[in-house]
Amino acid sequence: MIEYVDTLLPYITTILLISSIYAIFSLGLNLEWGFTGLIDFGHVAFLAIGAYTTVMFNMSGFPLFLSVIAGIVLSGFFGLLLGIPTLRLREDYLAIVMIGFSEVLRFILLNEQWLTRGPFGIHGFDRPLQDVIPYQHYNTFLLILYLAILVIIYLSLERLVRSPWGRVLKSIREDEAVPSALGKNVFWYRLQSLMIGSAIAGLAGAMLAFYIMYIEPNTFKPIETFHAWIIIILGGTASNKGTIVGALVFCTFLSVTQFTNRFLPFTAHQMGAFRMIVIGLLLMLLMMYKPEGIFGKKEELALSD
Amino acid sequence: MDILSVKDLKKHFGGVKAVDGCSITIETGTVMGLIGPNGAGKTTMFNLISGFERGVGEIVFKGIRTDNLSPFKIARCGMVRTFQIPRALTKMTVSENLMLAPNTQAGERIWDVWLRPKRVREQERQIREKSRDILEFFEISHLEDEYAGALSGGQKKLLEMARAMMIDPSMMLLDEPFAGVNPTLARKISRYICELRKDGMTFLVIEHDIPAITKISDRIVVMNEGKVMAEGEPEEIKRRRDVLEVYIGGEG
Ligand SMILES: Nc1ncnc2c1ncn2[C@@H]1O[C@H](COP(=O)(O)OP(=O)(O)OP(=O)(O)O)[C@@H](O)[C@H]1O
Ligand SMILES: [Mg+2]
Repeated sequence: MIEYVDTLLPYITTILLISSIYAIFSLGLNLEWGFTGLIDFGHVAFLAIGAYTTVMFNMSGFPLFLSVIAGIVLSGFFGLLLGIPTLRLREDYLAIVMIGFSEVLRFILLNEQWLTRGPFGIHGFDRPLQDVIPYQHYNTFLLILYLAILVIIYLSLERLVRSPWGRVLKSIREDEAVPSALGKNVFWYRLQSLMIGSAIAGLAGAMLAFYIMYIEPNTFKPIETFHAWIIIILGGTASNKGTIVGALVFCTFLSVTQFTNRFLPFTAHQMGAFRMIVIGLLLMLLMMYKPEGIFGKKEELALSD
Repeated sequence: MDILSVKDLKKHFGGVKAVDGCSITIETGTVMGLIGPNGAGKTTMFNLISGFERGVGEIVFKGIRTDNLSPFKIARCGMVRTFQIPRALTKMTVSENLMLAPNTQAGERIWDVWLRPKRVREQERQIREKSRDILEFFEISHLEDEYAGALSGGQKKLLEMARAMMIDPSMMLLDEPFAGVNPTLARKISRYICELRKDGMTFLVIEHDIPAITKISDRIVVMNEGKVMAEGEPEEIKRRRDVLEVYIGGEG
């Protein structure tokens, strides 16, 4: 029994750590898509910018805290940069530009070895309070830290989306002609949403780097963007609570199915595909019986018409 | 004083000359009726004036050239429009639809949400109060917390007008405000328009209900096939033989 707890606890800690990182990453996307209606298929790019900026700043001697801030700011800045030419156009332009950007960025990270060490990746950077916290307790510490960050992000977002600012976002999500006719600068609001969503993804990137202690370009494949989409749809579009629960459900599923590998006659590669099939089926069932997701509101269903 | 003047405005869709060289001027504090057969170009006129379509020609509102401004900037100048087919925000509540409108809200700026929460809350309270008054006027108070998607066609029309009223604009463009609205309420809205007009608000109103529009208008413009075919006082227009022929009908 004791033995069991000994292996179970770190395992749960790991799941919760990954969940909290995914939750924050997805909360950024939920602001963009759930509340503003922006189709961002390249969200992972900002995870990468956040992670690489933080790590590279830190490796060149900046204190960790400042490095994280730099990662957040630079992610937000790139959101702005990509938003300016695309957000005036039809919504699908953003989707296309974003997915292109995230892949181009990954190739740059792969090829500009002088800057990023390319496919070898980067390790050996600092972690928060690594000299103070004993190594065997470090993940527990990280979990507490990440949960605290998650709570702060969640409360901040809740406050924002319930404010008049959030009301304008929701009106844009449904029919931008209305806020325009009423005098709202739709473009500027979209830009703000994309900037904040990207900055939050940047923060998640830094958190990811600290947790896995090693980053390489292939950590940031487009599939990560779509994981965030799955999490949002699962939890309920435009529900921050739903996004967090969605992240927990999704990460638990991924992790548990890694476990069951032993009992199924699959190779690791086949198992990956099998998992995606199961997730796809589950999503289809969800769409049939509860299309608004776990916590979404039926009346606010983003895809209803 | 003219609040709005439109000079030689044109908008063509391929071969369709929706608006084909229209000029109108509207005096501050008056109600101008805009009538004409289906497809005459009335709604296109609204789209041009409110910036939703780009055309050729000159539009001056309150002394500002607005023909190349974006819709939100024109609205900020104090002109608000409604849409012929109401655009209720169906995934928001009726109350949210109305509270969205005012442009003076500190809470629309992210930094004020954080730095001046008291002021934001206070404003929310005021705006909610105001929205309740307006909902009461339009007799849809009981729907305050419903999602706008649950409203009937006529109720959506009322919601659209109520929302526009939240802004306190200096000029309103109403596209068929009485269409689909029950007669008693239509009369009430007419009276409301006249009241607001007395307070100095200007109206440009598209309407097919001739008795209703002639009653509230100071002047009437008749459009046909993209052109202004007649302009004058309501009584004058009602007697115009050509207008009777293409639009109003009857013996003449
Ligand atoms: N976006 C568009 N694309 C192509 N043609 C258009 C467009 N909008 C309007 N038109 C055409 O312009 C003409 C004028 O249309 P408009 O909607 O202005 O008429 P209207 O006077 O408002 O008519 P109604 O009384 O039926 O509302 C019509 O022939 C219409 O087909
Ligand atoms: Mg029309």
